[in-house]
Amino acid sequence: MVRAVKKLFKSNYLFTLGVIVCVFWIVMAILAPVVSPYDPIEQNAELRLEAPSLAHLFGTDNFGRDIFSRVIYGGRYSLLAGLLTVFIAGIIGTFYGAIAGYVGGKVDNIMMRLSEMILSFPSLILAMIINAVMGSNLFNTMFALVIVAWPTYARLMRSVVLSVKENEYVEAAEVLGASKIRILTKEIIPNSIQSVLIMATTDIGNQILMFSTLSFLGLGSAPPTPEWGMMVSDGVEYFNKFWVAGFPGLAIFTMAVGANFIGDGLRDLLDPKLRKQF
Amino acid sequence: MKKRLLALMLAASMVFGLTACGSSSTGSASSEASESATSEDGASTNSTVVIAMGSGFDTLDPGQVYEKYPQMVINACYETLFKFYSNDGAAEPMLADTYSFNEDNTVLTITLKDGVTFASGNPLTSKDVAFSLNRTKNLQGNPAFITDTIASIETPDDKTVVINLTEPDGAILSKLAYSACSILDSEVVTANGGTDAEDAATSDSAQAYLDSASAGSGMFVMTSYIPDSEIVLEKNPSYWGEATNVDKYVIKIQDDANTQMMTLSSGDIDIACNMTEDTMSELEGKDGITLLNNSTKTVSFLMMNMDESIGGPVSDPKVQQAIRLAVDYAGIQTICGEGTTTPYSIIQEGFFGSLGERSTDYTDVEAAKALLAEAGYADGFDIDLTVCDLAMEGIPLTDLAQKVASDLAEIGINVNIVSEAWAAGYGDDYRDGKLGFTVMYWGIDYNDPNVQLEFLAGGVVGLRAGWTAESDPEIASLYAKATNAIEDADREAVLKEIQEATYEYGPFVMLAQAPCPMAYNSRLTGVAFSDPYTVDLTQVNVQ
Repeated sequence: MVRAVKKLFKSNYLFTLGVIVCVFWIVMAILAPVVSPYDPIEQNAELRLEAPSLAHLFGTDNFGRDIFSRVIYGGRYSLLAGLLTVFIAGIIGTFYGAIAGYVGGKVDNIMMRLSEMILSFPSLILAMIINAVMGSNLFNTMFALVIVAWPTYARLMRSVVLSVKENEYVEAAEVLGASKIRILTKEIIPNSIQSVLIMATTDIGNQILMFSTLSFLGLGSAPPTPEWGMMVSDGVEYFNKFWVAGFPGLAIFTMAVGANFIGDGLRDLLDPKLRKQF
Repeated sequence: MKKRLLALMLAASMVFGLTACGSSSTGSASSEASESATSEDGASTNSTVVIAMGSGFDTLDPGQVYEKYPQMVINACYETLFKFYSNDGAAEPMLADTYSFNEDNTVLTITLKDGVTFASGNPLTSKDVAFSLNRTKNLQGNPAFITDTIASIETPDDKTVVINLTEPDGAILSKLAYSACSILDSEVVTANGGTDAEDAATSDSAQAYLDSASAGSGMFVMTSYIPDSEIVLEKNPSYWGEATNVDKYVIKIQDDANTQMMTLSSGDIDIACNMTEDTMSELEGKDGITLLNNSTKTVSFLMMNMDESIGGPVSDPKVQQAIRLAVDYAGIQTICGEGTTTPYSIIQEGFFGSLGERSTDYTDVEAAKALLAEAGYADGFDIDLTVCDLAMEGIPLTDLAQKVASDLAEIGINVNIVSEAWAAGYGDDYRDGKLGFTVMYWGIDYNDPNVQLEFLAGGVVGLRAGWTAESDPEIASLYAKATNAIEDADREAVLKEIQEATYEYGPFVMLAQAPCPMAYNSRLTGVAFSDPYTVDLTQVNVQ
């Protein structure tokens, strides 16, 4: 495994780049209080909309807040939202899909139609509705993202389970009298989880992007929280002051692309079969 | 790897394709605009003025218009009994020659000017005045409330109008200056389906006609109106008064500040009504362009609920005063942009009887801390500040909330900003007075200081802050006192009393009057910001 990862680093430069970028943002987010030169919410009316300089690497926004510090702190929210959303949606989707696929029949039909109901909504609009109804804060935004994201995992899991459950070792377990729950958790899920993992890694980038989109639309955390999407939305007002929206935008871009590169690389590593199909 | 490269190239080519589409379409649009401008110029050299203004309306029928921007058009095509000739003053007679009130101020008698004719050639008589005001009242459209205090209208002869009021109304002259009280050509409007009968709301069908042409006595006539796109006004050839030298106005309904800035600098438009601080800075120092920074009467304010069960600590008058002292007014004005002012108290600067601005030196953090300690909150407290997703003339309310939160942190009040969508609950909570501590804004309905009386105890906005007339009878009594005052001197006195009474007391902290940055081509004279009309087109001349 270690050798395979080493090989991956050597052969896939995009993967390496993705890892560097993501590790960079994770370290920055964890060390934010140490790294950032200013308090991200401290206002200073005299330093309004200053262009990038040595004192303020990324310039200042319309409240005179240091954008560099805000971008560093902002990583905390975006990363947290991306990882947590994928984690929770993945767990829900895995179990839901596994149960539907393994039990089959009417249960399968009802469960999958339910999840398709959610899938049939445009995901951004659905997330916006959930958020607007529940009131917008960080927790509710993530909740909305999870609601929108889990059915995809459920569908994938179900399709894998459908083929896995035909295997002889499942039949053997059944013959030996193992309970359905035991078969599901000990035989089926461990043998189907790989494809969900692959999808989850590529999905992190998408979720970060989605989270930023929602907070751009004013449905994220409440100000003055330094959140990337919201910072971009603030910066739109200042068309000719590129740094207000530009740097947080760049942060979203690098983070999303980096996470996608990692996802791609991991897919190549874990599932060479899938790679050939594409 | 090769495939990935291919995908990348594909993506890149798509991006280029998109930008190419974008630039070519904007390119063709601007060349079209300049072409039309030159063809118009060919007919009448340089006396065509092109204006870009905001959208948000879908009719130009004076009986229905209630939005901000159509006022500019109505003011150019129609005339009213009274008018605001300058932006800070009372309404002055326009079609009215003389006017008088009876002893108890319930009957207003107006004599009309001689020789006023409509663009159609019909003379303007008292019959038209009665028709127009009754039509507005009976249409029951958005602006119908303006005629609420008018009980009935009598027309003893062609030149005399007698307006019976339901009660003394100090704001009646300002109301008669509002677009909904424009005098329509009753003959033309009736011929096109208009009526002033009591069932006008259902039987009047003149709106379609009034959306395609004007029927007033104004300096200009409307010749074309394409909703959300363009309005064309041409000089009224038979105008009864003295006209300006502008022959034609082309009004583009296009409110993007960057487009306005670019078309103004290229000479495609002459007046840009929706600039921003950012686009103004681009035009600074540019030859041939004049910048205007004025404050509007749209005002943002902090509201602290007087009901302790809703407001909590901010229902305490001492805490309210501490907050009033803690707000950094100079900082708020900087954030809102040049031209922003903070009113003295609940009556905005620019209104008749206003005491002007609140000094930015008013902020006193030490005094605020002392007051807070006196109220029993020496260590401060935590509070939620609810804010919705609306913006005041382009300034997001969340920006103001962030500034206030940071100011109040200085005196130990820890403000937690809670965002709520206007449509998803905030609007109802605000109107029902369920919010404890919030930032909101208020745009005036018509240009009279009496609209601000709603900020008193028992007024519409006052009640939203849990400020009932019973809880504060002294302040509440000022409401009636102000509406009953008719003479300018009396009005001024009571308005002053109101402003002093709310200077350091009450649930409202007025933060800022929004600025209205505009820019225009220096070949024009007489362009000035006007609250009721945005720009008074009947005062603009070409040099």
